[in-house]
Amino acid sequence: MQLKDATRATLAAAATILGTTTVLAADTAALDKAFDALKTFDWGTDYKKNRKQEEMKQSDLLGPIVDAIPATHGDAAARAELEARLAAVLSTAASRAAKDFVCRKLAIIGTAASVPALAALLSDESLSHVARVALERIPATEAARALRDGLSKTNGKLKAGAIGSLGVRRDGESVATLAALVADADAVVALAAASALGDIGTAEAAKALHDAKPASDEVKARAADACLTCGERLTAQGKKAEALVVYKSLLGGSPAKNVRLAATRGLLLASGKKE
Amino acid sequence: MKQRFHRRDFLKAATAAVAAPYFIPGSALGADGRPAPSSRVVMGGIGIGNQGSGDQGAYLGRGDVQYVAVCDVSTEHRNAARDRVNGRYNNKDCKAYNDFRELLALTDIDAVHVATPDHWHALVVIEACRHGKDVYCQKPETKTLREGPLMVAAARRYGRVVSGGSQRVLEDYRDTVNKCWGGEYGTIKSINVNVGPLSQSCYLPGQPVPAGFDWDMWLGPAPWAPYHPFRCSGSYNINGTCWRSFTDYSGGGMTDWGAHHFGGAVFAIDCRELEPEEIAYHNEGGKEFVAFRYSNGITLYHNHPGMGNLQVVGTPGEKRVPKVVPTYKGTGGIYGDFIECVKTREKPFRDIELATHTITVAHLGAIAYELKRTLKWDAAKNEFPGDEEANRLVDRARREPWTL
Repeated sequence: MQLKDATRATLAAAATILGTTTVLAADTAALDKAFDALKTFDWGTDYKKNRKQEEMKQSDLLGPIVDAIPATHGDAAARAELEARLAAVLSTAASRAAKDFVCRKLAIIGTAASVPALAALLSDESLSHVARVALERIPATEAARALRDGLSKTNGKLKAGAIGSLGVRRDGESVATLAALVADADAVVALAAASALGDIGTAEAAKALHDAKPASDEVKARAADACLTCGERLTAQGKKAEALVVYKSLLGGSPAKNVRLAATRGLLLASGKKE
Repeated sequence: MKQRFHRRDFLKAATAAVAAPYFIPGSALGADGRPAPSSRVVMGGIGIGNQGSGDQGAYLGRGDVQYVAVCDVSTEHRNAARDRVNGRYNNKDCKAYNDFRELLALTDIDAVHVATPDHWHALVVIEACRHGKDVYCQKPETKTLREGPLMVAAARRYGRVVSGGSQRVLEDYRDTVNKCWGGEYGTIKSINVNVGPLSQSCYLPGQPVPAGFDWDMWLGPAPWAPYHPFRCSGSYNINGTCWRSFTDYSGGGMTDWGAHHFGGAVFAIDCRELEPEEIAYHNEGGKEFVAFRYSNGITLYHNHPGMGNLQVVGTPGEKRVPKVVPTYKGTGGIYGDFIECVKTREKPFRDIELATHTITVAHLGAIAYELKRTLKWDAAKNEFPGDEEANRLVDRARREPWTL
């Protein structure tokens, strides 16, 4: 790590002092070379046996792309150009490893502009996850919409993945769709939907969980856990009256012992008692 | 400890062993010096390959623990761990699983120890809490910043005892800790930690997956990648020959040894319950370092040029009133501390909340190094306020179907 090599350190320092445009101009050739390398890049391409720690850094071939991210911070035009070049790789015949690399970088700098290229990968068995690595973290509403749209184009594990990402994004617009999926016959999908509603954590999400009809005890337990999470989030936000509703509805449903104890604890905390 | 396990399983085992006359061995009643079965903590282990085998040995050696199940994605490791248990008890009762969910579904287990690679920790710990298990989780307890608060919430929600795993926090830096808590430095201004490196991307070539090794389960929530023995080796070398080297599974030395060093440092300066408000990135002539600034005015440096590991800067000439240094409960070091707390329901020395505060420091530093700039941190909201780019690094999407 911890001290990057002189080239990268100099680049960063120069970016601070001179502005990123100058640096990028000087580093364009290296960046072009890295994007060329990406066309044929694969696991093992850049691997040398018995390399020392200092040589274990990021792929030497792709390093300039990695360096370009901090170097373009605050430079919208340079970022847009970098993003466009990265997103373009996703529709080429580049390897899974190359597209994996690209998605990780788009997770940091991606915008709505990258969403179509990423969304196209959601139903791809081998690339759906790395597409979500980016889509889960891109703040643009287009990314959430792409994940919601992805639910109708996927099944099983891939669908569960998209559901999980909507939960992490705390996407309130998904609540009605996820509520129905808690009762899905596929336990993987139903579990993911219950957890996602817990992550969303609103009173609406809690009500959806309460009203859901899980098909198995396993999903029922997860839905109760997610309901408890909603209660905790509401309490933390100061919405104590709404939290009390969540806990009382849980306790009114003859829950399992661990849920009953947890809901009672939540009820006390939402009522102002301290642990 | 759970009455149901001991009566039923003990009677079942005893009945099977000697049909007539009905005979209760003295060891089952505590005649061999061990607590009676109803007083033992019933345990299982998840991730038993390397560090996990050491943890298993520590728990297996305790008379107040009854070890009943193991889980590992390597058949070789799993069987070896099972055989150690059966050898210890001179029976064949230990259950063995490839999937941790099956072990956690056992209703008769009180507690589990977890020593999977780091990318699995949060998922297993949270699931264990949901199933009513207490947990001893190896350090570093988290892989991302999002995971810590979720682990703490699960522990508190279900009233579980969850301990982090660094024994060095208390045991390696006693002199520094005692001086700090003893008031000898006066008002403490800063402390420095030298540790690293950061983990790196992994581009190892693929190899055939060996028989008896569940590669998909090993990867779990991490991005798919081809099998290579260096990717999943549990050795302690952070030089590209074990999972601790690689970003998908670990924070590298920054979090692996960092859990010890940062843990010792924040213990010494009594900031265990805090997280930094600012992570100031510095690059002086190509020497990168960061300064973590706490709300109480203390600065924790990482790799500050010219400063030694756990070097404290205080206020010369000033003495402060000594404070009592917290320590383990029970006997037997950090393992005994956990077991004692399982029995008493107290918080352990490395309570998960304190442990995750520690490892958050390492994650925050890694993000500052990646973005090469100073960051602000809001611990209550678990976010970088107003910093959309840095907030993208708070977590990473988990591979399907895994969710926290």
